[in-house]
Amino acid sequence: MLATLETAKLDLSMNVNGQAVRLWVSPFTTLLEVLREQLELTGTKYACGEGECGACSVLLDGRVVNSCLVLAAECAGCEVVTIEGLTTNGKLHPLQQAFVDHGAVQCGFCTPGMIMAAYALLAANPNPTEADVKRGLEGNLCRCTGYRKIIDAVLSMARGGRSDD
Amino acid sequence: METRAGYRVATALEVAARIATLERATLFAGGTDLLPRWSKGVLQRPEVLVDLKRIPELKGVSRNDAEVSIGPCTPLSDLAVDPIIRQTAPVLAEAAGRVACAQVRNRATLGGNLCNASPAADTAVPLILLDATLELTAIGPGGPSVRDVAITDFFTGPGATVLAPGEILTHIRFEPQPPGTFAAWDKFGTRPSMEIAVASVGVALRLEGGTVTWVRVGYGSVAPTPLRGRAAEAVLTGSPLSMEVIERAAAAARAEIAPITDVRASEAYRRDVVGVMLGRMLKHAGHA
Repeated sequence: MLATLETAKLDLSMNVNGQAVRLWVSPFTTLLEVLREQLELTGTKYACGEGECGACSVLLDGRVVNSCLVLAAECAGCEVVTIEGLTTNGKLHPLQQAFVDHGAVQCGFCTPGMIMAAYALLAANPNPTEADVKRGLEGNLCRCTGYRKIIDAVLSMARGGRSDD
Repeated sequence: METRAGYRVATALEVAARIATLERATLFAGGTDLLPRWSKGVLQRPEVLVDLKRIPELKGVSRNDAEVSIGPCTPLSDLAVDPIIRQTAPVLAEAAGRVACAQVRNRATLGGNLCNASPAADTAVPLILLDATLELTAIGPGGPSVRDVAITDFFTGPGATVLAPGEILTHIRFEPQPPGTFAAWDKFGTRPSMEIAVASVGVALRLEGGTVTWVRVGYGSVAPTPLRGRAAEAVLTGSPLSMEVIERAAAAARAEIAPITDVRASEAYRRDVVGVMLGRMLKHAGHA
């Protein structure tokens, strides 16, 4: 008899932060759960769990997505980049450094998602206006309401002329 | 096709249709509506799920001399910037680009937005203005069968459509409107992003010598389904876009919708806002 979706385990191969990973997942396990609980990449946050807040934002094949709204099983053969994947040899990505330099972090819970959304925005539009930045971060909530400094940090990447990598 | 317990990734339409029909599988595209409903328990998790996103023919936009065709698994973020859609149906591109947020638009698909049949589906009203046709495909004992349904006949109630069990929305088609057609669409809410519309309104029309010769009106979030505004169209057809006509069309709009009072707005407010939105669009059309 066919195992039901609730109990079955699927063999999943994908690429996470440049590393090939292979693991067993349940069909209804979300990408977020796999990242945090199986791969221990806890930089990506669980908050609303229903795609309203953006705290779980990651790049999936180069596009920013809410990892709570993606089944891990959908990611077979895909490339995933999390906040951990932006750091090289312990050195922060310039966008991460911009958040530090601008004090764009209060409690920090929204920060990884904000940075991944901003990363996707800058990759598509390296010289965004303030309106572009606000729109690019439309799916990310900061409940400390620290938006001003977040927007300034992202805008500094455009104004400073620093390259995306 | 790859079999992974009950989670099936179909790479061919016929396979997907067979799984959908024979195993009563839940059709799965972007997942942005289904996942929250499963996790909240609003909807029971299915025994078998068939993921349609990897079927090449269900993705992308194409056009020939007569019509534009959209694959239902095209993500809304692609639709919003697609050159064919921006040229032939800018209001559809606009609506697709204003659904939720970037993260959701990167997953959510046009077909999902339609098949979930929310009365507030942002892409439905632009498709009403375009007289769009939905192609539905089923696999029966005799092989595949295809039928075309007008967008206005597709929705039957909140969350309900004419789709039979196992039937798959396979294409969304429309004829580009002639040059000189005015079209506008807008949704109203308390914020520009992550907003389920309080109301949405669209209008497309053509004028000859100041007289409306052809018009389509559509409304969202103000009836059990996205709604074509036939009463407002009747007021406008054959008339000039005078203040008097515009006011009568707005009154017809307020009267022909059937809104409810919910957390987002009251029935009375929705009636009022629809009249205001349609009136503004018609004034703009008159000056365009």
